[in-house]
Amino acid sequence: MRIRWARDPETLDPLFAPNLAAFDANNLLHVSLLQGDIATQQLAPALAEQLPTVQLVGDSLTRLQYRIRPAATWDNGRAVLASDVDFTLKLMLCPGLPNEAARNQYSFIRAVLPHPQDPRRFTLLCRGQSLEFAQASGDFFILPEHSLDPRGLLRRWSLADLQRQPLPLPADSGARAVAQQYLAAVASRSSNRLSGCGPYELLKWEKDRFLSFRRKPRWWGSRLQPAPLVLQARPQQLEYVIIPDVATAALALQRGDVDVFPQMPAREFARLRAAPAARSALRFYTSPSYDVATAGFNTRHPALADALTRRALSRCFDAAGLLRATQLGEGQRTVGIISPADRANYNDSLAPVPFAPDSAVALLRRAGWQRRSAPHEGWFRSTGRGADQQLRLLVRYRAEEVLFGTVALQFQAAAASIGVPVTLRPTEPGTFATAMRSGDFDVYLRVLRGNPFMFNFTQLLHSASANNVTKFGTPASDRLIAAIARADNPARRTALLRQFQALLQAEAPIVPLFYLPNRVAANRALTGLHVGSLRPGFAAATIERVAQPAP
Amino acid sequence: MAAAWLGLLVLVAVAAPWLPLPYPPNVPDLAHVAQAPLSPGQHWLGTDAQGLDVLSLLVYGSRTAVFITFPAAVLAAMVGGVLGGAAGFWGNRVRAAAGYWLLALGAAWWFLRLPMFGLGLLMAAAGVARLLWRPRRGAAYSTSVPLDAAVMGVATALDTIPHLVLVLAIAAGTGGVSALGLLAILAFTAWSTPARLVRAQMRRTRALPFTEAAQAAGIPAWQIWLKHAMPHAISPLRAALPLSLARLLGLESTLSFLGVGLPPEVASWGRLMASFRYDTSAWWVFVFPITILTFSMLSLHFLSSAPRRQAAR
Repeated sequence: MRIRWARDPETLDPLFAPNLAAFDANNLLHVSLLQGDIATQQLAPALAEQLPTVQLVGDSLTRLQYRIRPAATWDNGRAVLASDVDFTLKLMLCPGLPNEAARNQYSFIRAVLPHPQDPRRFTLLCRGQSLEFAQASGDFFILPEHSLDPRGLLRRWSLADLQRQPLPLPADSGARAVAQQYLAAVASRSSNRLSGCGPYELLKWEKDRFLSFRRKPRWWGSRLQPAPLVLQARPQQLEYVIIPDVATAALALQRGDVDVFPQMPAREFARLRAAPAARSALRFYTSPSYDVATAGFNTRHPALADALTRRALSRCFDAAGLLRATQLGEGQRTVGIISPADRANYNDSLAPVPFAPDSAVALLRRAGWQRRSAPHEGWFRSTGRGADQQLRLLVRYRAEEVLFGTVALQFQAAAASIGVPVTLRPTEPGTFATAMRSGDFDVYLRVLRGNPFMFNFTQLLHSASANNVTKFGTPASDRLIAAIARADNPARRTALLRQFQALLQAEAPIVPLFYLPNRVAANRALTGLHVGSLRPGFAAATIERVAQPAP
Repeated sequence: MAAAWLGLLVLVAVAAPWLPLPYPPNVPDLAHVAQAPLSPGQHWLGTDAQGLDVLSLLVYGSRTAVFITFPAAVLAAMVGGVLGGAAGFWGNRVRAAAGYWLLALGAAWWFLRLPMFGLGLLMAAAGVARLLWRPRRGAAYSTSVPLDAAVMGVATALDTIPHLVLVLAIAAGTGGVSALGLLAILAFTAWSTPARLVRAQMRRTRALPFTEAAQAAGIPAWQIWLKHAMPHAISPLRAALPLSLARLLGLESTLSFLGVGLPPEVASWGRLMASFRYDTSAWWVFVFPITILTFSMLSLHFLSSAPRRQAAR
């Protein structure tokens, strides 16, 4: 089974996957307690025997009780135990790892309490009470303690100890040693790298060419009857072929060199679907997705620090035109970063930001900008001290993304029409990530990937988060983000989410343009291909090839 | 015919901002994306996968081609001509006083940004001092400069690396290039061929009787080089310049096709051809620029062989 990837995953770090390809690969190698079921669009038990039992303690604690499936084992036959869950949570907090996101995401778990009699049973003691704890507590890959920390260095400290920063010296040196061991294990591209309890093992990885995965001969999931969808592993071998160029990948699909082409661009998808030869050889699937095309402003830059300027510039994006031009009208316009498909939480009382460069001029004037004519043409604003600010923008996007190439050109043209100079800087993926972290941009264009289960925006938009690349954050927005993460009933959370969407539209640190559709084209000879809104948009491990009749 | 085509191209390039084009080259028309030529609307040659007008891209692409490759070829010919002419005229025999050596070392120190900046400055200062206060009597401490070996060595080293790879490496190392930067890079990679041609011609010219007569008349060497020898030595460039232009045109288009050339808002035939990959049914985004590029390169090759054909008649 050969699947097209647009780029190399760079690393198969299960805790800190840098891109979608790495996430897909990790899904084959590792298993988490709960995993998204693409058929039902719900989180389903994977390593866990069933969804956790939630027990509220007083008004400030939650206990989540899990039991790991008795069949679950590592490759050497050892059982996957509660101690592995405890180890993984501690590993995520080790100094020396890029664990800012994990620290934000799992800080509510204060302790893993093992069951005295059953080593597979454990309770997660959580600080606070939230609707999302049950889902969030199971959403990370479980790693083997016996191979990464054979001496049990992390057992000497509790989870709460490691959550305190900075760590005391002995804890720090021990945790650093384990982190080093982990980094060494995941850095390898060989087949004997860190092995998880997932159904596949890495067979071969040739950078920028292909990654080959082989189903483990004694995969524990195959003993389950019936096997849940999230634990099915039907293909004996899965090969991810890296073909960056869309036309080349489409040709490979038509020639049968590739079996599945996920996230196919709209034009190529439409072209193939209209071609009789392709129609007879391929099947075409579409579904909504939780991927939203967004623009973001760097609020650290003085010119973009105020909401009025950002709102003015957000009116230079022709989201409706871009949706029509780049997605052929498929996909959905949105008012925020909650999908319109989520009818309960989507704030339908707001109107999408209009494309109105003329009204942007009025907003810029209200923000204190004044338009000057030649020789010093442009928009200037007095700062009260030193030189005047000039409104000029540097737009960064990933060089290979045609969608954002079009968005950037459209924005540049609209901004130029009102006298705002815009420089476009298509950037290589690695450099793009660095530029985002260092704040070397005024406007970024990228896809934000979401899911229907969790609404924790701490990483993305909280002022204390290092991953908040816009650096936006006000006391009100921080309070709202925290309140959403803590919401303990659906009605309350819905009200807060609607309020949050209104706040984001008013402050405009990011401009959600539209939700992208998910398009998958696959060989007709395949069965069991489940396509859905959850990333990566299809389930690779359930695909089978129809047996060809003997000649 | 070739001259007429190239003349038209230059005319279009110069007049592009004043031509009555219905759409600017870098403003996408989102309502007409990947539209075929002569479809409803005013996109006579259609639009590309981003909604950019193909006609405008061709016109402004010619501007990019002319205003980048022509100056780059002329600059390369000038640099190559001067270096090749000097190498051919003086060979490895010219002697330079110690002051010049010190000054050159100091300049190289500064250019290469070597550590201990003060030491480089000290060398340059010592060189200047030495030149200003030359001893009236006694040894001048001069050493011969291997000018010919140095120029030919650098040219050979430059020719051993494929120019596309070299330009790609420079562009990647500098994190993208501006139009002016691309011009400089193209000129840097293209001077070696003119240098070789002029050097070879200069070695013949140097042996001609009028050069020897000028030397015998006591005319300073640099005057003989500049006023008498160089006009003869640069004659091969007449045929080489169109070829150099064709090569640079191809290189610029290749770079833009690969997406490492000019900024995205600068129109280029190479980038227009590359957009065919995003919509392989849009034949017009490939056929029109490749036709223009082919005609232009054939015309340049034809022009370069014109002197030979004239001589044969």
